[in-house]
Amino acid sequence: MENEALSNSDRRDFLVKLTSVVGGAGVAAACVPFVASMNPGSDVLANAETEVDLSGIPVGGMHTIAWQGKPVFIVHRTPEEIKEVEANNGVIDPEPDSKRVERPEWLVVVAVCTHMGCVPNKEGAGFTCHCHGSQYDDSGRVTRGPAPKNLEVPPYYFIAENKILIGKAKA
Amino acid sequence: MNKLITILASCFIATSVMASEAKLETVKVGTDWPTVEHGLDTYMANCNSCHSLKYIKYRNLVAAGMDKAKVDALRGDKPMNAAIMSQMSAEDAAQAFGVAPPDLSLMAVARDGGVNYVYSYLLGYYSGPEGSGNHIYPVTKMPDILGISSATDPAQRAEIAEKARLITSFLSWAADPHAQERIHIGYYVIAYLFLLTILLYLVKKRVWAKLK
Amino acid sequence: MKTKVINWIDKRFPLTSFVEHDLTGYPTPRNLSYWWNFGFLAGFVLVAQIATGIFLAMHYKADVALSFDSIQHIMRDVNYGWLLRYMHAMGASAFFFVIFVHMARTLYYGSYRAPRELLWWTGQGLLLLLMATAFMGYLLPWGQMSFWGATVITNLFRATPFIGDQVVVWLRGDFTVGDATLTRFFSLHYLFPFIIVGAVVIHLVALHTVKSSNPSGIDLAAKDNIPFHPYFTAKDLYGLGLFLIIYSVFVFFIPNALIEPANNIPANPMMTPNHIVPEWYFLPFYAILRSVPSLVGGVVAMGLSVMIFAFMPYLDRSRIPGGARYRPIYRIQFYLFIVDMFVLGWVGYVPPTNQTIVIGQIATACYFASFFFVPFISKAEERWLIKRGLPQEVMHLIEEEKLEKSKKGDKQ
Repeated sequence: MENEALSNSDRRDFLVKLTSVVGGAGVAAACVPFVASMNPGSDVLANAETEVDLSGIPVGGMHTIAWQGKPVFIVHRTPEEIKEVEANNGVIDPEPDSKRVERPEWLVVVAVCTHMGCVPNKEGAGFTCHCHGSQYDDSGRVTRGPAPKNLEVPPYYFIAENKILIGKAKA
Repeated sequence: MNKLITILASCFIATSVMASEAKLETVKVGTDWPTVEHGLDTYMANCNSCHSLKYIKYRNLVAAGMDKAKVDALRGDKPMNAAIMSQMSAEDAAQAFGVAPPDLSLMAVARDGGVNYVYSYLLGYYSGPEGSGNHIYPVTKMPDILGISSATDPAQRAEIAEKARLITSFLSWAADPHAQERIHIGYYVIAYLFLLTILLYLVKKRVWAKLK
Repeated sequence: MKTKVINWIDKRFPLTSFVEHDLTGYPTPRNLSYWWNFGFLAGFVLVAQIATGIFLAMHYKADVALSFDSIQHIMRDVNYGWLLRYMHAMGASAFFFVIFVHMARTLYYGSYRAPRELLWWTGQGLLLLLMATAFMGYLLPWGQMSFWGATVITNLFRATPFIGDQVVVWLRGDFTVGDATLTRFFSLHYLFPFIIVGAVVIHLVALHTVKSSNPSGIDLAAKDNIPFHPYFTAKDLYGLGLFLIIYSVFVFFIPNALIEPANNIPANPMMTPNHIVPEWYFLPFYAILRSVPSLVGGVVAMGLSVMIFAFMPYLDRSRIPGGARYRPIYRIQFYLFIVDMFVLGWVGYVPPTNQTIVIGQIATACYFASFFFVPFISKAEERWLIKRGLPQEVMHLIEEEKLEKSKKGDKQ
């Protein structure tokens, strides 16, 4: 009797443990559809990418479009503005302008102040947020706080000469 | 006692044969995407001019496996999130036919007989000395698009039947795009539950064996 | 560590004592058969319906212009929305299946008899709450069958004496079933399951007071009870596994078997479908409703057909303990009743013809006759069985009961 590899009660414990593990795995798997259903559905995700036609924006002009429910500034920069922003890297959150644009004459930034989330206005050279006074240059870089970071550049790329797709970086 | 009940029950079941409209033909729809896409092509050629699919968006075709370039060609300048609407507006169609052609997104599940109904309906047109119409839905205002009522050559009839099958396959997908995914997951769920139930049975037996 | 926490709680809350008294150590007759699994299954389905329902409600829109589309949105766009929807739809049918078997078990084994009358009546209340919940839920997809089913059934309240018409309008919030009806049905459909949860707690408190009956119908000696855990936890889980297999076959492979095709057509108040049919679990009662030619008569008959179960503890006058085990006549009555339910279900489903109407009326008469004759048949059967001779323990029990009754008489 003592020589049996597993006594009866050991066998039952193993069986109970095994069943509990298998059952637990099932319960965990059953939770997946419930949790997943709360994630954005395919219709929301389809709206996560927005095509923008740039041909209507003159030099020096700006369009605001909605992307994922947020405002995005599309600025057609003048050569003077481009020279200004390429001259330095920004003060509070240093970043070269070349890293923030696909083509220098087009600035695409999410128009949400990195301080508390208000929408800044285009004023003169750059943008000003009237909630708490933050200022950004013509590259969307913060030049005066309380905003801590530069305006966010969304992933985008040129799908045609005058069209960009916001929401996806070039694959 | 049990035998008596069985006999009584089967009597009642036997007499419950429904009042007959024409009998439906059974169709074997294709559920693989190539067949469904072929069905979409047939649908676009024959049905899209009058019927809309308000719950099928162009992006659903891409997600199901259709080539994006083909979808782009299909949608023209309509956005990806647009539904595949009919070419004729509902009002124009209602004027032309007397009644607006119904949306077909759910047609494969909205009639008794399901896909068999759709298939039999498409092939149910007749035309002859006694008149013309459709055996399955006699009051239909829809013309015989596939031309079954005037096809006499067996090869021709077979070709039309195949078109009807393809359209039905596409509409079956359109009514329930997740059906294949559901069935696929279902196999795993049933297999898992079998395993778990066997284990639970063994645990039950062990636990109760303890009892004198 | 765990013991320390539990001790801390026990000083402030009867956690361990409750768990031991009412869950793990709860005394249960050792001879319970698998017919006793169905109460647990009903509780499980209730939880599943609440879970799937809450997550569906995150995406459903209760507005006549949006509801049908929102269901399609759930089926097509929401991640696993199709699964939530099919689980909820199949779950409703599963719930009624489980409850009907649960009730059949109670009728067969006489578990409604003293001292379990209150347990039976709380169950009756639960059945009514479930039927109301299912009825309101069925309107929400706003399909043809949803709309016309709700129209027909809300029309029945016209039978209310004197204020019938006003009651119907009050129920609907409008002169016809419309947006006002849909939004309030959604609100109440969300509420009622939680009332059901409360009623289940009451039902279980009643159960724990009188303890489970058992297949013999004779109360077992204390030594023949075994602790609920691990014996019946193991047995209930095994039964759950079997149930989940059947449930999953429906959800994953044949979900449209129980969804009326007409409900895949958006509601059209201008056009009634050829064939209005309620969900299968309402069919027998629907047949009884249609069997009586007058509106008021039909409504009374239908209401009575659901409520009449409540009288069973008093209709059944046999002193033979328990249910069908020792009572062959009662057993035949029971089986005939089940057959009658199936006949009524079929009558409720098929389009009415002269023949089916007559069959329905006969079946309705049989339905009520089953209850009407129980007092007489049960007494006659008792006399016949005693003359024929009963097993020892049964005679013993009858004698004991006689003694109790006469003792009470002396005291008074």
